[in-house]
Amino acid sequence: MIQKKICMLGGFAVGKTSLVRRFVTNVFSDQYRTTIGVTVERKSLVVDDHDVTLMLWDLYGEDEFQRLRESYLRGSSGYIIVMDGTRQSTLDGALALQQTAARTLGPVPFIAIINKADVRAEWEIDDRSINQLRERGWTVLFGSAKLGQGVDELFTLLATQMLKASPPSGVPS
Amino acid sequence: MSRRPDNPQSDPSSSDRSSSVVEDWTELRTLLLAPEQTQLDELRDRLDGQVVQARDVGRVLPEAFAVRGDHDEPLSTVLAPYVESGFVTAVRKSPRTIVDAIAPIMGPAIRQAIARALQSMTQSFNRSLDESLSVRSLRWRVDAWRTGRSFAEVVLLHTLRYRVEQVFLIHRETGLLLHHVATDAAVVQDEHVLSGMLTAIQNYARDSFGASQDQTLDQFQVGDWTVWVEQGSQAYLAAVIRGTPPTSLREDFRDVLDHIHAKHTDTLARFKGDAAPFKTTQTQLETCLQAHYETPRPDPLKAWILVGLLLLGAIWLGWTTYQNQTRWSMLLTELKATPGLVVTAAKSTWGAYYLEGLRDPLAKDPSELVAEAGFDPTVVKAVWSPYYALNPELVLVRAETMLHPPDTVKLTMEGDTLVATGSASETWVGETRRFAALIPGVSRYRDEKLLTHSVAELLDRINQTVVRFGPGVSTVGPSEQRVLGIVGVALRSLDEAAAHTGQRVVLEVLGSTDSTGPAARNAQLRKERAETVLASIGQHHIGEHTTVITDIVRSAASNGSQTEVGSRRIVTLRAFLTTAGAENETARP
Repeated sequence: MIQKKICMLGGFAVGKTSLVRRFVTNVFSDQYRTTIGVTVERKSLVVDDHDVTLMLWDLYGEDEFQRLRESYLRGSSGYIIVMDGTRQSTLDGALALQQTAARTLGPVPFIAIINKADVRAEWEIDDRSINQLRERGWTVLFGSAKLGQGVDELFTLLATQMLKASPPSGVPS
Repeated sequence: MSRRPDNPQSDPSSSDRSSSVVEDWTELRTLLLAPEQTQLDELRDRLDGQVVQARDVGRVLPEAFAVRGDHDEPLSTVLAPYVESGFVTAVRKSPRTIVDAIAPIMGPAIRQAIARALQSMTQSFNRSLDESLSVRSLRWRVDAWRTGRSFAEVVLLHTLRYRVEQVFLIHRETGLLLHHVATDAAVVQDEHVLSGMLTAIQNYARDSFGASQDQTLDQFQVGDWTVWVEQGSQAYLAAVIRGTPPTSLREDFRDVLDHIHAKHTDTLARFKGDAAPFKTTQTQLETCLQAHYETPRPDPLKAWILVGLLLLGAIWLGWTTYQNQTRWSMLLTELKATPGLVVTAAKSTWGAYYLEGLRDPLAKDPSELVAEAGFDPTVVKAVWSPYYALNPELVLVRAETMLHPPDTVKLTMEGDTLVATGSASETWVGETRRFAALIPGVSRYRDEKLLTHSVAELLDRINQTVVRFGPGVSTVGPSEQRVLGIVGVALRSLDEAAAHTGQRVVLEVLGSTDSTGPAARNAQLRKERAETVLASIGQHHIGEHTTVITDIVRSAASNGSQTEVGSRRIVTLRAFLTTAGAENETARP
C-alpha cells in the first residue's frame, strides 16, 4: 500500500471541505462550516493496480486574516487548488497559492478545480481566464461537490499523476 | 647450435637423423616441461569438467557470500525468492522435518506466550481479589456499575501508574504513518488520520509560537491520556500513555527511535509512501508498550486482624470439634451401657452422625439419650432394628408387661428363671404358669413361694375383720393397723380377681358405737371410725373395680339402740361381688 499526502488549497468557502467530504464519505452539506487549522481525512483507492491511500490535508481557507502555513504543505506529494467559479477573486488567490506551494514543494503534481459547476450561470470566472490558466500548464477541472460531479475524477487523476511522478519501487517510471 | 634441428633433408640417412633429432627434442621437452604440462592438463580438465567446477565453487562459496554480503543488499534480494521457494518446497515435501526443526523454537515461544497470558490474567485476578473487600473497592464497584465496565478493568485503571497503549512511528515530513502498535485495551480509531493530525498539530503549535524546526511539541495531555512525542531526524515516535509515566520511559523511546533510524536510514531517506519496509519495526515498537501498576501496600493491621480471626476461627473449630467428639464418645458409651440397645456401627463426619444397631422395644428411647448428650436429634441419623434383649432387667420388665401381676405379687429374675412371690388369685397363678415360659428370655418359672387364694377366701378374710375402738375415740391402734394391712392386700387381690371375671367388688364399711353418750356424738364417731378404717386400708389398695360404701354407717347407727351391734365400739367390713353395673343397686341400703 502506498500512502500519499495531498493538500487542499484555496480561498475561504470555495468548497475544499465539501469536496473532501464528498470524496471520502459521499456526503454534502449546504451548511457552511469553516475549517480551523487543518483537518486530515483518509481515502483509499486503486490506481493502476496499486492500492493508494490518500491522506487529505484539508487546510483552512486563506483570506486576508490568515495566510497559508507552509509547514502544512511540507511532505505533500501533490495538491489541489480549489476555486469558486462564482467569485473571480478566488482565481487570483489560487495563483498566489500555487506559487507558494511550488516554492515549498517544488515541481509536484497539482490539479486546479473550479467548484460550484451546478450554478454555472452565476460564474464570474470566464473561459478566457480558464484558458490562461491552462496556458500556464495547469490542469483545470470543473466540478460540483454538491452534485458529486468531477470529484472522483479529480482525486483519481491527481493520484495517477503522483504515482507517475514518484513511482513505488519496482514500477517503471 | 647453428643447425636447425627440424630442417628436413631429402636423403634417407638424413631422414633417419632427422627422426632421431625429433625424438631427442621430444624427450628433451618432456624432461624439461613435464610438470608444467601436467598442470596445464589439469587446468584444462578443471575448466572443462563440471564436476571439478562444482567442487571448486563449493570450496569458496561461503566466503564468497560473506564477502558480497558485507558490501550491499542485492545478494539478499537475489537469494530471497530462491530461499522462499526452496523453503516452500521443503515444507511441502517433508513437513515433518520442518516441524522437527522448528519445534525446539516454537515450543518455548508458545509456552512463553501462554505463561505471559496466564500471568496477566492471574495478576488481574489477584488485584481484583485484593481489592474486593476494601472500602475503596466498594467505590470502584459503583464506578464499574455506573460506567458499564468490568470490575477488574476499573481496578486496573485505578491502580494503574502508567500504561503505554499505542505507539506511532510517523514520517516527519509527510506525517504519514510508518507503523503502529497498540495494546488490546487501547481504543484505536484511524491511526493514519491520527498520524496526520498529530503532525498537523505539531506544525500548528510550532508555527503559532514561531518556533524553529528543532523546537518541537514534545507532549500534550487529553484527560487520562498523555501523548509523548520523541523526535528523530526522519521520523518521530508518538506514544499514547494512560497514567503518569516516568521520565526514564523517554529514554526507552529514544533508544528505540535511534535504533530504527540506524537500521532504516536509507529507507527513511527514500520514503515515498510505501510503509511496508517498516513492518520489521513491530518488535521494537512493542517494547515501548510498557505498563506499571501500583504495588499492593501491605497493611500490617489488616493482616494481623486477619490472622487473629483465622486463629480464633481455628480455635473455635478445634474446641467445637473436641466437644462434639467427646459428647459423641460419651453417647456411644451410654448407648452401649443401656440394656436393650446394641450399637453395631457408629460414624461421625464433619457435623453429621450416624448410628446403626439393635433395640429392644422395652429399652430406653435412644433419641432421649441423644438429646441428653447435647446433640440435636435431627443431625444424628439412627437406624435401629428390633430384637429381644436377654438382659435380666429387661426380661423382668417384659414379664411384668406381659403377665400384669397384681400388686401382691413380686416378680424377680434369678438367672434365666422368673420367680413369683407374694399372693395372687388362683386364676392369675394358673395363667402365669401357662405363659411364663413363653416370654423371651425366660427359661423357667417358679412360684413355690406364691400364696394362692380363692375369691371366697378373700371375702372371708375381709368380712371377718372387726376393728375395735376405745370409748369415745376413732383412732386405730397398731395391732388393728396390721390387720387392716392384710385386709388391704386381700381387697386388692379381690379387685384383680373381679377384673378377670368381669365383676365388681362392693365393700361396705360399717361403723358402730356403744349406746352411751349423746346420739349426735355417737353418729359422728361412727362416721369418723369408718373413715379412719378406710384410710388405714389405704386408697392404693382400693382398685378401680371396687366400690366403697360408707353411708351404711348412718343406717346402722339409726338402729343402734335396738340391736346388739349398736352397743359395740367397732367397725365391720362386708365385701361381696356383684355384676358390673349393678353395684349401686346392690349397695343401696
